[in-house]
Amino acid sequence: MNAIEITDLKYRYHDGTEALRGVCFRALPGECIALLGANGSGKSTLLLHLNGLLPEKINGDGAVKIFGDAIAPDNLETIRREVGLVFQDPDDQLFCPTVAEDVAFGPQQLGLSEKEISTRVEKALAQVGLTGFEHRATHHLSHGEKRRACLAGVLACDPKILVLDEPTSDLDPRGRREFKAMLRTLPSTKIIATHDLEMAVELCARSIILDRGEIVADGRTMDLLSDEKLMLQHGLEKPHILHHLHPH
Amino acid sequence: MSVHWPGHYHGAGDNLVRRLPATVKLGVALGLILVTVLLPPDQGMWYVAVAGLLFLEMIISRISVLFLAKRLLLLMPFVFGVVLVNALAPTGRVNWRVLAVKSSLCLLTVILAANTTPFSETLRVLKKIRVPALLTTTIALMHRYLFVLADEAERMRRARASRTFTPQRRFQWHALATVVGQLFVRASERAERIYDAMCARGWK
Repeated sequence: MNAIEITDLKYRYHDGTEALRGVCFRALPGECIALLGANGSGKSTLLLHLNGLLPEKINGDGAVKIFGDAIAPDNLETIRREVGLVFQDPDDQLFCPTVAEDVAFGPQQLGLSEKEISTRVEKALAQVGLTGFEHRATHHLSHGEKRRACLAGVLACDPKILVLDEPTSDLDPRGRREFKAMLRTLPSTKIIATHDLEMAVELCARSIILDRGEIVADGRTMDLLSDEKLMLQHGLEKPHILHHLHPH
Repeated sequence: MSVHWPGHYHGAGDNLVRRLPATVKLGVALGLILVTVLLPPDQGMWYVAVAGLLFLEMIISRISVLFLAKRLLLLMPFVFGVVLVNALAPTGRVNWRVLAVKSSLCLLTVILAANTTPFSETLRVLKKIRVPALLTTTIALMHRYLFVLADEAERMRRARASRTFTPQRRFQWHALATVVGQLFVRASERAERIYDAMCARGWK
């Protein structure tokens, strides 16, 4: 069964901007897919659809299916349990006073017992390397730590699909390296929207390129990213790392 | 980069007052405020006693007088407002001094309590004494995003200052109004994103 199945997904913002114009793709369980594209190509809009946050009125037309189930108003809770969304700006996501409270937020919503919640918080913080940060104030963390705390908050809900919106933007090289290493250890299906093309090469076997709300390419990351013409045409570029791998 | 004006007093380190359980501290603070408010105006010695207690707390918790004075000054307009209204009332002429002392003592108590108790502890106490969840959640969110908003305002102020070439008042006021408006729009958009992020983690 497909983890994600999207058929002819269209979305138009209130101001008339057509953000998605008939997007189709499937993701198998365990796949790690990079979602590439210039600013405003519809990446974030697509990600919000995976979790049922868009469209505003879910009509259950079956444009987005998660593990075979079309997203509908009555199964939103299940969908949000299965799909964990990590937002681009950590300040949007970390809204509790302390790290532990924030990581516990998801499990609390799932109605777990106090004991189970604290086990999950501990495990999630260990997974992202933030053990010992439980009582730190969320607004006093560094940007890299905030990113990890956000990821921990989503991992604590134990999602089968992990959706990340530009997880490495604004991180210093070490932060980026550590974050990538951490993502690699997670077995779930991953959809990563990013401008970090090196990360796409390192983590994702498959890439999808979006341009003005349409999928213009879908295939092996190596093949797509080394196609200089294709990349330039859609506001991207061939990453340096590939120049080194294929010397002319 | 981060702005700390809405934050707590930094640099006091560990001390007896800080280590006291939050419930006790906030309970004592509430008690002190009640006593101060209910005291008859002619009990001068009691006011001195309350002030002494607060002074002692200030010494033990190693919060600087300057810091306290600044905070008190920030809140003084409220005291002046109350005192002014009272001084103008036909029967209240005698009481305005007492009122000023009472309000200042209460404010000092609150400032000291707030700056010796971590905010998350204060929240926990509020939850424990069954303050409605809607209220505690609102307070928690407000405290959390005060920092983000202050940072955002500071970034906008700097960006504006770097492009301000005219010292004319009128332009400055105009620019300030734009910043305030922008901040409002940005805050409401951020609120939407926060709500989305909460929904994504199962908020009902």
